[in-house]
Amino acid sequence: MSTTMILLTICLPWIGGLFIWIIGDRHPRTQHALAACFAVAAGLSSLALLPFTSDSAAITIEMGSVFGRFTFVPDGLGVFLAIIAAVVGSLAVIFSIDYMHGEEQLGRYYSLVLFFIGAMAGLGLSGSFLLMFLFWEITAFCSYALISFHNDDPKAVAGGIKALIMTQLGGIGLLVGALIAHDYLNSYQIHDFLANASALPPNTLTFIAFGFLLAAAAKSAQVPLHTWLPDAMEAPTPVTALIHAATMVNAGVYLLARFYPAFESVPGWSVSVITVGLLSAILAAMMAIVSTDLKRALAYSTVSQLGYMVFAVGTGGVFASQYHLLSHSIFKALLFLSAGTVIHVVGTRDMRLMGGLGKQMPITRLVFIIGSLALAGIPIANGFFSKELVLETGLEYGPVWAYAGMLIGTGLTALYTLRMIAMVFYGETRVTEKVHDAPPAMRISLGILAFGTLTSWLLAGPFGHMLEASLPFHDLHFRETSELVIEILSTPATWIVLLVVALGLGSWFLRKTLRSLEVFWEPLKTFALKGWGFEWINLQVIHLTRNLSSTLRITQTGQLNWNILGIIGGLSILLTFLAWGGMR
Amino acid sequence: MDLSIINISLIGVICLLAVGLYGLLILRNLIKVVIALQIIVKAALLGLITAGAARDQINLTQSLAVTVIVADTVVAVIGMAFAVQVRRRLGTLDIRDLSSLRG
Repeated sequence: MSTTMILLTICLPWIGGLFIWIIGDRHPRTQHALAACFAVAAGLSSLALLPFTSDSAAITIEMGSVFGRFTFVPDGLGVFLAIIAAVVGSLAVIFSIDYMHGEEQLGRYYSLVLFFIGAMAGLGLSGSFLLMFLFWEITAFCSYALISFHNDDPKAVAGGIKALIMTQLGGIGLLVGALIAHDYLNSYQIHDFLANASALPPNTLTFIAFGFLLAAAAKSAQVPLHTWLPDAMEAPTPVTALIHAATMVNAGVYLLARFYPAFESVPGWSVSVITVGLLSAILAAMMAIVSTDLKRALAYSTVSQLGYMVFAVGTGGVFASQYHLLSHSIFKALLFLSAGTVIHVVGTRDMRLMGGLGKQMPITRLVFIIGSLALAGIPIANGFFSKELVLETGLEYGPVWAYAGMLIGTGLTALYTLRMIAMVFYGETRVTEKVHDAPPAMRISLGILAFGTLTSWLLAGPFGHMLEASLPFHDLHFRETSELVIEILSTPATWIVLLVVALGLGSWFLRKTLRSLEVFWEPLKTFALKGWGFEWINLQVIHLTRNLSSTLRITQTGQLNWNILGIIGGLSILLTFLAWGGMR
Repeated sequence: MDLSIINISLIGVICLLAVGLYGLLILRNLIKVVIALQIIVKAALLGLITAGAARDQINLTQSLAVTVIVADTVVAVIGMAFAVQVRRRLGTLDIRDLSSLRG
C-alpha cells in the first residue's frame, strides 16, 4: 500500500506534466484544470502516506553494478517533506489559475511546476544517496527553468543562471560526499551510512560533513551562498512561493537534519552550522529592513528564517528545526502568495509605489497580516511556537553568543515585518487606478494557507511522534502538544523573546524619534543595500573567470601542428598514468 | 631480448608511429599531413595484427584489419577532397593559413 502511495505521489505530477505538455498551449482552460486536478491528487496521495511511515524501504530497485540499490523509504522526515511539497504545490497550482491567466506558454509553466513537485517528493522519500542526488539536481533544474520562465527578460535569465551555478556548487558537495561514503562502506544506502558513520576514519567523516554543509548552504541560500535567492524573485510568484519559500530551499535544512546523527561528533561541525545559521539570520534580516522591493524583502526574510532552522540543527534541535520548517513553509507560502496578489493587481514590486491598499483589498490584507503574525513570532500563529522552540533549544544546548544573536534577529524580524505591512497596506494611497481584491482561485489558496498558519502548531505532538517512531538514529523525545505549549508559555525565555519582538515593533512606531541615532545606522544601511559585499565577491569570481579564459585563448592558435602536439601530450600523460598504475 | 617476429613487428609499429606523428607535427602541406595520418593508421593496423598473432586470435584481428582498411581509405579520400577544396578556395595548401579556428 505504501508502495502505491509513494509511486502515486511522485508519478502523478510527472504524468500530469507530460499530459499538459502534449495538450499544447491552444487549450489554456484544459491546461489549468488538468494541472489543478493532478496537483491536488498528488497532494491527497502524499497525505495518504501518513499512516504508513516506517524506517524500512518500501520500494527497492536493483540498479546493478556501480549504482547499487535505489530505495524509497517512507520515514517521518521524508513523508513530511513530500507532504509539504505536494500540498503547498497543489495550492500554488490552484493560485496559478488566476495568476497565470492569459499568459502564454502555460504548457511549459505547468509541466515544470508539476515536474518539480514530483521530484521534491522523491527527494524526501529516497533512501539512497545517488537517487537523492538525482532528485536534488532535478529540483535545481526546475528552479532554474522557472526563474527564467520569462526568457525574454535578461534579468530573469541572469537570475536563473546564477541560481543554477550556485546550487550546482552544493550539488558537487553532496555528490563527492556520497561517493566517498560509498568508497568506504560499499553501499549507497542512507540507512547504512547513518548506522556505520562512526566506523569511518575521522578525517573522511569531517570531509563528508563539510561537503554536506556546503550542499545545504547552497540549496538553502545560507551565507555566503545566499545571493542567488533574491535574484530568483524574477520567477512568477506562485513558483517563488512554492520553490523559493516552501520547498526547495528547505532541502538543505532537511539534509542537515537527516544526517545530524552521523556528523554530530565531527569536531567543529556543529559550531560551523550554528555560525552559518546565525550569520544568515542576522545579515539577511538587516537586508530585509532596507529592501524596497516587496518580493526581495520576503526573500531576505526566507534566508533569515532558514538561518533559524540551520541554527536549530546545529544545536541538536532536529525536531525544533523541522517544526519551524513546517510553520515557515505554510506562513511564507501565504505571505508570498498574498504579495503575489498585490503585485498582480498593482503591477509593480516596489513598495514605495504601493501604500494604502488595505481599504481596497481587505481580504489580502487580512491574510497578509496573519502570515506576518507568524513571521514576527506573535502568539496564536504557528511561527510563534516553532520559533520559541528553536530559541529554547538554542539557549539550552547552544553557545550563549549565538543565542543572543538570534534574539536580536527576532527583533529585526518584527521590525521589517511591520515595515512591509505599513508600506503596502497603510498610509497614503499612491496607486491611482482602481484595484480589486483577490479573484476566487487565489482566495481558495490564501484561505487554506491562512487557516494552516493559525492552526498548524497543534500538530506538534503527532508530528513529533511520527518522527520519533520512524527515525531510529535520531535522539528525539516525543512530547504532547499541550505539554509543549505549556512548556513554551511558562519559560522565562519566551517572555524575553516577546520583549525583543515588542522592542522591534516599537522601534517602527518610534522611528521619527530614533532619527538621532541615524549616524550609527546610516553606514550599516549603505553596506546592507550593497548586500554586505557578497555581490562584490560574486563579481570578482566572474571577472576572474573571464580574464582567465581570455588569457587561455592564446592556446587556441588554430594551427593543426599545435593541436596534434596537444593530443600527443595528453595521450602520453594518460599512458604514463596507466603504466604507473599497472606497475603498482 | 630475443628477436621474435612479434618483437620485430612491435618495433615496426613504434617506428611507423614515430614517423607519422613527427610528420603531423612539422609538415605544413595539407596533402603531406594526410599522408602522415595514413602512416599512423598503418602503424595501428600493424599493431592490431601483431596483437592478434600474440594472443592466437589472428582470424579476429584480420577481419578487424580489413574493416580498418576500408574506413581508413574513406578518411584518406575525404582528406584529399578537403585539400582540393581548400586549394580552390584559398589558393594555398599551407596549413598555417588555415587558422580560422583560432580562439
